[in-house]
Amino acid sequence: MNTNTSRGEADLLVIGAGLSGLMAAWQAARAGLRVHVIAKGAPSLHWTAGTVDVLGYMAAASATAVADPMNALSALPGYHPYSLLGAAQVRAALADFLALTEAAGLPYVQGDGNWLLPSAVGALRPTWLTPQAQAAGDARRTAPMLIVGFSGLRDFYPHLIAENLGKQGVPARAAMLPLELISTARDRNAIHLAHALDEPQRHQALGRALRQLVQPGERIGLPALLGLEDHGATWAALQSAAGAALFEIPMLPPSVPGTRLFQAIRRSLRDLGVRVDMGIEAIRSHTAAGRIEWVETATSARPMRLSAACYLLASGGVLGGGFDSDHTGRMREVVFDLPLTVPQRRSHWFRAEFMHPAGQPVFQGGVAVTAAMQPCHPDDPAQPLYANLWAAGGVLAGADPIQERSLEGIALTSGWAVAQALARR
Amino acid sequence: MKRIETEILVIGGGATGTGVAWDAALRGFKVVLIERRDLTHGTTGRYHGLLHSGGRYVVKDPQSAVECIHENRILRKTHAHCIEDTGGFFVVTPEDEGPYPDKFVEGCAATGVPCHEISIAAALRREPLLNPRISRVFEVPDGSSDSFLATHATAQAARQAGAQLLIYHELYSLIIEGAAENGTQRVLGARVHDAAKGHDVEIRAALTINATGAWAGQVTAMAGIRISVIPGKGTMVAMNHRALNTVVNRCKMPADGDIIVPVHTVAVIGTTDERVADPENLRIEPWEVNLMLEEGDKMVPGLSRARVVRAWAGVRPLYQEDYAGASRDATRKFALLDHRERHNVAGFITITGGKWTTFRLMAEKTVDMAAEHLGTRRPCTTASTSVPGTQQGAYWLGHRLHEIEENALQGELICECELVTRAMLENAARQNPTITLDDLRRDVRLGMGPCQGGFCTYRAVGIVHALGQAGVWQGDAGHQTHAAEEWDVAMMQSPAHNVAESSPQQGTADRAETCTPRLFNPNLLLRDFLQERWKGVLPILWGRQLKQERLDELIYLAVLNADHLPDAALTSPLSEFYRFDTTPNDKEVRA
Ligand SMILES: Cc1cc2nc3c(=O)[nH]c(=O)nc-3n(C[C@H](O)[C@H](O)[C@H](O)COP(=O)(O)OP(=O)(O)OC[C@H]3O[C@@H](n4cnc5c(N)ncnc54)[C@H](O)[C@@H]3O)c2cc1C
Repeated sequence: MNTNTSRGEADLLVIGAGLSGLMAAWQAARAGLRVHVIAKGAPSLHWTAGTVDVLGYMAAASATAVADPMNALSALPGYHPYSLLGAAQVRAALADFLALTEAAGLPYVQGDGNWLLPSAVGALRPTWLTPQAQAAGDARRTAPMLIVGFSGLRDFYPHLIAENLGKQGVPARAAMLPLELISTARDRNAIHLAHALDEPQRHQALGRALRQLVQPGERIGLPALLGLEDHGATWAALQSAAGAALFEIPMLPPSVPGTRLFQAIRRSLRDLGVRVDMGIEAIRSHTAAGRIEWVETATSARPMRLSAACYLLASGGVLGGGFDSDHTGRMREVVFDLPLTVPQRRSHWFRAEFMHPAGQPVFQGGVAVTAAMQPCHPDDPAQPLYANLWAAGGVLAGADPIQERSLEGIALTSGWAVAQALARR
Repeated sequence: MKRIETEILVIGGGATGTGVAWDAALRGFKVVLIERRDLTHGTTGRYHGLLHSGGRYVVKDPQSAVECIHENRILRKTHAHCIEDTGGFFVVTPEDEGPYPDKFVEGCAATGVPCHEISIAAALRREPLLNPRISRVFEVPDGSSDSFLATHATAQAARQAGAQLLIYHELYSLIIEGAAENGTQRVLGARVHDAAKGHDVEIRAALTINATGAWAGQVTAMAGIRISVIPGKGTMVAMNHRALNTVVNRCKMPADGDIIVPVHTVAVIGTTDERVADPENLRIEPWEVNLMLEEGDKMVPGLSRARVVRAWAGVRPLYQEDYAGASRDATRKFALLDHRERHNVAGFITITGGKWTTFRLMAEKTVDMAAEHLGTRRPCTTASTSVPGTQQGAYWLGHRLHEIEENALQGELICECELVTRAMLENAARQNPTITLDDLRRDVRLGMGPCQGGFCTYRAVGIVHALGQAGVWQGDAGHQTHAAEEWDVAMMQSPAHNVAESSPQQGTADRAETCTPRLFNPNLLLRDFLQERWKGVLPILWGRQLKQERLDELIYLAVLNADHLPDAALTSPLSEFYRFDTTPNDKEVRA
């Protein structure tokens, strides 16, 4: 077959444009490396709450939220990605993420300990860094909440949220506004609505309506659609028009806060000259003498070979499509066919309960890595499999990041650590 | 204790019991039906979806074949909107050579099942994904059928004729007069537990009809009668690809995994047949799923590589005759047992076995016997009486999409996979006795598509909660009113029929008693429905469906934190059932 090989242009080829891949690309580019990012499609960032969960629950005591992840890291097992990285790297990476988002105009904020932010069912989410626009929802503060929804919006139910907040001792009431305040279009996708709210007349009208509803001392919770491109300005203007603190509550996918974050990091990468190619799927690789020689990609036109000095696998595990599996119970890592620490039999992958406090065993599995985040030999965690291959984010073994609410934390810190390691070489 | 008096008490709200209630009410009997969960919660809601032509039975069981083709013709009229006229093929694959195909043709002729051999080329033109290596194809009038809709429509017809249907009412003891020792006993009715309201009800009846399918032996045991009903579990796998528009059967002696039925948007491969100890034991073993995929590939090569939506199992009652007295009722392919004649227990009849396709016939024979017990003769009229909803005409796959587009309802979709609109859901929740989201699933197909409730579960909880807050959600299982003022259950799956309904503010709360608050608890609705969906995907999680599952976890755990909602420790009428139901298994090979 006719294939093109592009050789040696990049110092680092990143496979996957989720938080881990993007963070690694940003950090490596800042250190002067030439970075190329390829991704099959939109990352799971577009589905998340847009916060940075670092550690919300410990597997052993998952009923109560972790108060401060930085104090809990040392209690994690030795094979956990945070244990491999060490607390110092975790802190440094998160500090860099705060700097990144600040500079990109989408500031994230850190509290004293985990924030407890209302979800769209009114449960309280423990999270470490939150976009500015979600911070006022912190349930550790006592100010009463007014949760405002929009009639006809199918992904937000303020009365349900308020009732559950009330059951947890957070004073809250609910109110509805007409969706027409935001948009009269038939398409009620959150992204479109957020886009519509970027328009000043629209958010002014909404602000006036909120001012009429709110009572003194209340803070207002709204679905997360307060602007997209001009979110910062939209949110600030709404807040002053309403005369009360406003906070966003993330909704079902597509996620507006996640989309904002993705766009903010992409802008930062563009400024650093990093090439990000979406719609390119890595399907296999070629190795020789313990090194990755090239990665083969599938695009609509023809297969291509991409090569670089170093490779980062940031393809997101099961959720990102980095792992595939079939009914025989075989699970494989798609690009490099790396060994996976997944139970061998499909019947051992799951538990009887969907929301089992210990999570599903299959999602604990993944690519085992050395302390330097290099995929390692199955029987020797100190021995890298390939001299020029790293892994970060959802592909990593040793944690179920959705279960323990560490998805963004592991992604950012492991991606950052890979870039640091490369910069040192 | 609340008391109800009636002529006929029917136990079991599957196709058979509901059919009996319909038939008896049409004949002017006063009827009460009880079902311990929702209508169709038993085998009827877990079957394969095939309206048999009879072709499957022409060699093995000609009597069944005769019954099937007879009923097939009737149901296409009486339940037109519940049936898709797919037609059926019997195909001879390379593994099915031998004398069977010729016997099949003879059998069809002998039983009156219309059957035409068509060319392979013609068959492939109609079904291009069919295995091109088949050697013969016979066409028969199979169809596919929606038992949820059909049973609900039958139930509505029964209510219109005056029957009272009480769901979430569980039989726990029969009221018996007399003693076994002195020869004659009589069943005078039953004591039942109303799970929604949490109290007991005593129902007195001149005649009690046990239509509990695979549970029939448990019910007769309450009258001290031992019959042998062995539950046989059958597993089915739904592929997220209709693959075929025609039912495809292997032309061979009936066995495992030899039928593919296109139902709504999916193709269902089935089934296995395994004896189990308890009809509640619906665990699915990995080998069963693997076998269905392997067998499916023999009819449609590559089908196993399509995405699998879900697997489920139903239980057949395998009735074993141990009664020596030559009785007319013992010869049928279903078992109609006269306990007065057989066991000296008067006022008590059992009907079990049979097929969905023959439920109307079973009901007819049962009510014939009931009339005799009650000392009258009244003719059956169900064969010529259409149930509500048939005015919509025969089912066709595109009807929902067509109605959504024609009425521009795209923005109203709550379940994008199955095209359920907000109004459909609200009407079903408000008007049809509902206490779980799973009941709404059976009503409108909520959460039955590829994402298996990933998006719509949350939305449905929010909507039902809002109805509850407005005081209009009935949620009063078993509280039935009369037909005239009733929402048209038979139209519940039609988007067009459910537009511009009254707003949630003006509901029917005035005619409903409020039920216990735990049933209104949105957190339990959410948890139980997610668990119910989990149960069905657990056996088939790999490939893309595993990725989908992970996305659902992302939504419900990471975004919603639904595993840390208040009230998590409370139980609901279904939580115990779901828990029992889901223990993963690791029998990789058949025992
Ligand atoms: C795997 C499988 C596939 C099948 N596929 C087809 C097919 O494609 N086509 C076809 O025509 N037929 C098919 N059948 C057969 C068909 O599904 C059944 O014959 C039919 O559904 C039986 O209906 P029923 O009402 O008799 O039983 P059920 O539907 O089981 O109804 C019995 C009801 O009694 C209730 N009950 C039990 N105990 C109590 C109690 N103590 N108090 C109150 N209620 C109680 C149960 O909850 C249940 O709802 C299939 C069967 C199986 C097992």
